[in-house]
Amino acid sequence: MARLIAQRYSKQGLGALFLTCAFPLHFWALLLAFRDISWLTERTNLWDAIGVVSYGLLFAFVESVMIFLVFVLVGISIPLPWSSGRRIAFLGLLVLLVSIWGIISQLLFLWNGSLPAQAIQFLRSSSHPLRILYAASLVVVIPTIFLPVYLFVRSKRSVAFMQDLMERFSLLTMFYLFFDAIGLIIVIIRNIN
Amino acid sequence: MNNQLNRRDFLKLVSLLPIGLSAPRVLRTLGISGSAQGQSKNVIVIVFDAFSAYDISLYGYTRQTTPNIDRLANRAVVYHNHFSGGNFTTPGTASLLTGVLPWTHRALNLNDKVIEPYVEKNIFSAFKDYYRIAYSHNRYANTFLKQFRNNLDELIPRESLLLESYDSFISTLFSNDDDIASISWVRSMQVNEEGSAYSLFLSHLYESLQDRKIEKLKPFFPRGLPTVSSIDPYLLETAVDAVKKRLTEIPQPFMGYFHFMPPHHPYRTSREFFNAFKGDGFKPIEKPIDILARKVNKDQPRVRTEYDEFILYSDKEFGRLYSYLESSGLLENTWLVLTSDHGEMFERGITGHGSKVLYQPVVRIPLLIFEPGQQSRKDIYEYTSAVDLLPTLTHLTGQKDPAWAEGSVLPPFAGTAQNPSRSLYMVQAIDNPSNAPLTQASTVLVRENYKLHYYFGYPELSSGEQVKLFDIKSDPEELVDLYSSKKETASELLNELKRKLVDVNKPYI
Repeated sequence: MARLIAQRYSKQGLGALFLTCAFPLHFWALLLAFRDISWLTERTNLWDAIGVVSYGLLFAFVESVMIFLVFVLVGISIPLPWSSGRRIAFLGLLVLLVSIWGIISQLLFLWNGSLPAQAIQFLRSSSHPLRILYAASLVVVIPTIFLPVYLFVRSKRSVAFMQDLMERFSLLTMFYLFFDAIGLIIVIIRNIN
Repeated sequence: MNNQLNRRDFLKLVSLLPIGLSAPRVLRTLGISGSAQGQSKNVIVIVFDAFSAYDISLYGYTRQTTPNIDRLANRAVVYHNHFSGGNFTTPGTASLLTGVLPWTHRALNLNDKVIEPYVEKNIFSAFKDYYRIAYSHNRYANTFLKQFRNNLDELIPRESLLLESYDSFISTLFSNDDDIASISWVRSMQVNEEGSAYSLFLSHLYESLQDRKIEKLKPFFPRGLPTVSSIDPYLLETAVDAVKKRLTEIPQPFMGYFHFMPPHHPYRTSREFFNAFKGDGFKPIEKPIDILARKVNKDQPRVRTEYDEFILYSDKEFGRLYSYLESSGLLENTWLVLTSDHGEMFERGITGHGSKVLYQPVVRIPLLIFEPGQQSRKDIYEYTSAVDLLPTLTHLTGQKDPAWAEGSVLPPFAGTAQNPSRSLYMVQAIDNPSNAPLTQASTVLVRENYKLHYYFGYPELSSGEQVKLFDIKSDPEELVDLYSSKKETASELLNELKRKLVDVNKPYI
């Protein structure tokens, strides 16, 4: 496994991919955690609310590592002739696309979104509502994945564009990782009492 | 006479020392502690969380929510006007366990612990010669049990009586801060009632794994499995069975405190009671929206129905526990107590508990004391408080009087009539720092038949404070505010309450 990874990735590339994975996960966790602060302080106190956010960041870090490992494994299936840079850029694109859909699905819960009444009526009357829902989801999701992937493969400028984008995200992620470090210190302090 | 020991005598005595030191433990393990040989009775305290007397048919609620408790009450002392110390788990449970009011034990905020002196002054320390065992579904009540661990022989781990879940590792990993770590885990992993989870991807994986684990049980709980704080599914049946089993194994006399989650929110009753009250024509008394109601819930009738159906589930399990205690013979030698830590409300635009108000449904709780071998019912209508339970139990079992307790021995066990002018207090100060004077709080004074509400420091109150007076004997629904018409009484009670507040604030100024 180590040999497979060494053949396909550079250390710098893996670092950039990790930062890209961590970006959307931390962005979302921080957004939700800060949105929660008032809810938490109403029910506990400020120190406990900070504790909840700190644990949240810790969990987001662990999730980032897990997602990173998954995408590293996915990257192994990408043809060997692809350069390390192109491979990382492509994986970065996949991470961002999947994250956008993850955020959209969470927002549907957050805004209490639901299907139009006619659609629900149609689903009720059908004999396989779940299958129809899955099929409809695929119809919506697949083009949003395949179209960018197609454009990435075809376009010569895509690698440079993605690398530039990942670099910008990486800078932001460094801030998030700094918050993670503070969160970790808070978690340690809370647990040594 | 030569009092000095020779070397041989000294060695003989030293050889007996280990036996002497270990004897109490050995005897206790064998179930023959010194006091047990005499008349020391066991004590079992059962707490159902958020169990409002208002919704209990035993206390006159029109829905038949507690058929088992109603039946068993014929062998108990039934307290009709019993009040909790506060209106949510932390202050309510702490008052029950320490025998002092929230402004004394200072567990005021959601995850607070009691202040240092009460770590050694509580219901468990009062039963030193007993085998003391405790369990709580509720993590905030469990915080106290962990705080009192030095006075417990056995603290049943909270997770052990929950359905197997993927969350227990959080409590193990962050054992010194498991409450907050678990809350964060819930907020991270579960698409919660507010709408979302901190985790983008693992939350979906987590949900599907949890769903798969509890799939088989789902048909038995049409509203979903009962859970603690939206996660940690549990079955009350499992917890009751475990307690039953343990009570037959542990040495006597024992003092057991068991704090079960139902009928606390989420109200997810079993299939047996699902829709038991649906469409029954129940119409609650209309009450005005309170100025302190934050988010008016327009669906209160449905939510209340679900709560009432969840009470049926708790009632059934209590009935089952009682039957077991009776058939096993334990009841012949055991004081059994059924109570709650606080109530629940579905009126005035406020749903649940822990809000800023202290109306009857959220502070009036059940109390039944089953005397060993009791075969008749006795009804007590005097006003009593959760802080009375600890001195009552020590009195009943011949333990040392807990001098620190602020309550008094409950009638009819006191032997003398209760002081009719006795004052009872309730306190809610969730937004007030625990180690500071009370500047933002809700307080209540009950004396004779009057109940004075005194709320202060809330921005919603234009004058900074609110005072209401009710005659809870003639107006138990608290509909007619007598503050203007009974100025003298209101002023007298308010002055008493304010004097009390000055006293309790002194150590924090």
